[in-house]
Amino acid sequence: MIVEVRNLVKRYKELIALDHFNMEVEEGEILGLLGPNGCGKTTAINCILALLNYDKGEIQLFGKKMTPNSYEIKRQIGLVPQEVSVFENLTVRENVDYFCGLYVDDKNLRKRYVEEAIEFVGLKDYVKFYPKKLSGGLKRRLNIACGIAHKPKLIFLDEPTVAVDAQSRNFILNGIKRLNQEGSTIIYTTHYLEEAEMICKRIIIMDNGRNIVSGTKEELKEMITTTEKIVVGFLSIDDETASKMKKIPHVIDVERDGEDFVIKFENGFNNIANLLEFIKSNNLSYVKLYSQLPTLNDVFLELTGKELRD
Amino acid sequence: MEGLFRNILYQTKNTYRNKSYFFWVVLYPIVLAAFFYAAFNGMMDIELEDINVGIVEDNPISFILEEIDLLNVEKVREGEIEEKIENEEIDVFIDNDLNLLVKKSGIKQTIVKEIVEQIKQMVKLNRPMDSYDFSIDYTISKNQQANPMIIIFYSLIAMVSAYGVFSGIESVYYIQANLSNIGVRINATPLKKSNFLVAGIIVALVLNLISNFLLIIFIQYVLKLHLFHEIKYSTIFILLGNLFGVLLGVLIGVSNKLNPNTKTALGIIVLLFLSFLSGMMSPDIKIIIESKFPIISRINPINIITSNLYRINLLGNTRFVNEGMIILSIYCMVLVIISYFFLRRRTYDSI
Repeated sequence: MIVEVRNLVKRYKELIALDHFNMEVEEGEILGLLGPNGCGKTTAINCILALLNYDKGEIQLFGKKMTPNSYEIKRQIGLVPQEVSVFENLTVRENVDYFCGLYVDDKNLRKRYVEEAIEFVGLKDYVKFYPKKLSGGLKRRLNIACGIAHKPKLIFLDEPTVAVDAQSRNFILNGIKRLNQEGSTIIYTTHYLEEAEMICKRIIIMDNGRNIVSGTKEELKEMITTTEKIVVGFLSIDDETASKMKKIPHVIDVERDGEDFVIKFENGFNNIANLLEFIKSNNLSYVKLYSQLPTLNDVFLELTGKELRD
Repeated sequence: MEGLFRNILYQTKNTYRNKSYFFWVVLYPIVLAAFFYAAFNGMMDIELEDINVGIVEDNPISFILEEIDLLNVEKVREGEIEEKIENEEIDVFIDNDLNLLVKKSGIKQTIVKEIVEQIKQMVKLNRPMDSYDFSIDYTISKNQQANPMIIIFYSLIAMVSAYGVFSGIESVYYIQANLSNIGVRINATPLKKSNFLVAGIIVALVLNLISNFLLIIFIQYVLKLHLFHEIKYSTIFILLGNLFGVLLGVLIGVSNKLNPNTKTALGIIVLLFLSFLSGMMSPDIKIIIESKFPIISRINPINIITSNLYRINLLGNTRFVNEGMIILSIYCMVLVIISYFFLRRRTYDSI
């Protein structure tokens, strides 16, 4: 294990930010910490990095206890904080060089790493720009370059795509996959489901400072009763007929929004065929009908009783 | 060591490119000096003339006073003392207990006060009066713009020497994870806080000294006010002022969670207030504080620098130099000790 966190408890006065939080990260994986804002993701990272005091628990990185003075461990870590954390009066290249130089002493090696990091995040045309002249997306890329230039073994990315445009987001996500392919282990916090689904090999779902469940995407989805959702929109339907839908085999819930319905099915098969049979027997006409596999939001909803973006 | 140099290099770049730093530390003092000069120029164009000193016939130090070229000693009768002072026929009257009677404060009165103080000290030390040339110390200022208004410029230099406060605040801002985002990032790296802070203090001192130097050049060659005759002690006091400013900034920076702008404003307010008490806005304030609250005057760091720059350069008096240096050094040590207790903390309760 490259990271081991056991029963971590962190209190802010009366508020329990982390409540016996556990986490294990294997070398080479991308682990997603998924949860709503304020659930304790950043607090967990700050405790792991020995930036925050904690009340209870054990934290080990690379098999050693992490403390503020663990400089050798810190040398192997890269952090991309949630907020853009760069010097406003240093250029793009100077910022990357400064932070890289805190880890890499060899001048020539550092020069190469800096150029590679700048290229990696696509800021080659902006090396002489000051951060204030960069767009939000480009600033985020600079933020990433400063955290990864020294080629760390373990990278913490704390919501690196918050408030960036779609193009930059895709660029960043693809970059993270590449970092992982090049050998870095990645801990990625986000409250965006699609991102976690897209890049993470394993996911820990957090809520109220606790890890509710962890596993691969597939494992998580298997944990819930809903295995399929079918969206159907009718031309018109009366309340009595609508209420009969709950009697279709394997239906566990029906949500209605006007003439549109989301029908959730538990384990089973032939769900669409059963629904079409229901439509035919009730002389209904539909304008749309499609099937969806459950998302991580469904997992979160079923486990916590609330939407991830509540 | 290389790490320290890299930190110095990048912190220098980050600081001198900061427009607001450049304005407050470089431009603002020059503008202020030009403003003071324009406002008080007429009042400073007085060349020092001989000083009319009144004494009674049996004054115990009359023989010493009469030897000093700068002084026109006039023996007056008891009954005419007040009238002569009122009519400004004499600038200062010295009674037999060596107390001074004056109509107003000014450079002439200050010089006589300093002479009398030195005579008192010589008497206490039982040193022979004829071995001491009292005129040497004071005649160097004879062609100087000799008005208490000049205090304003010494006070300005004293205040600006402490402008390292801004860089001190900034250095701490960057290394405290509970104060800034960069602090979070830096604390996650293998960089030791002390390296960054030492580099920050060096950068602050060097850049502030350069800005002090530019201000002095401006005053010397553009305004043509020759304020500095005693280079060694002047340099020491300006250096101590810089150190005091930077360390004050570190303490302001590290001791609370106010936002950086509020901290900078706090630094400005503290320095302006101390400078106000040391006569930057009006020399009368300095005189009032010195007479009514001498202890405040004695411990006010800006006043220590102002008074010593004034005394050593204009009056040639180095008598209070050691005391001033000691008090400023104590301030610096106290600031370091208090800041250390805040800085030694390596993890935070909240970020």
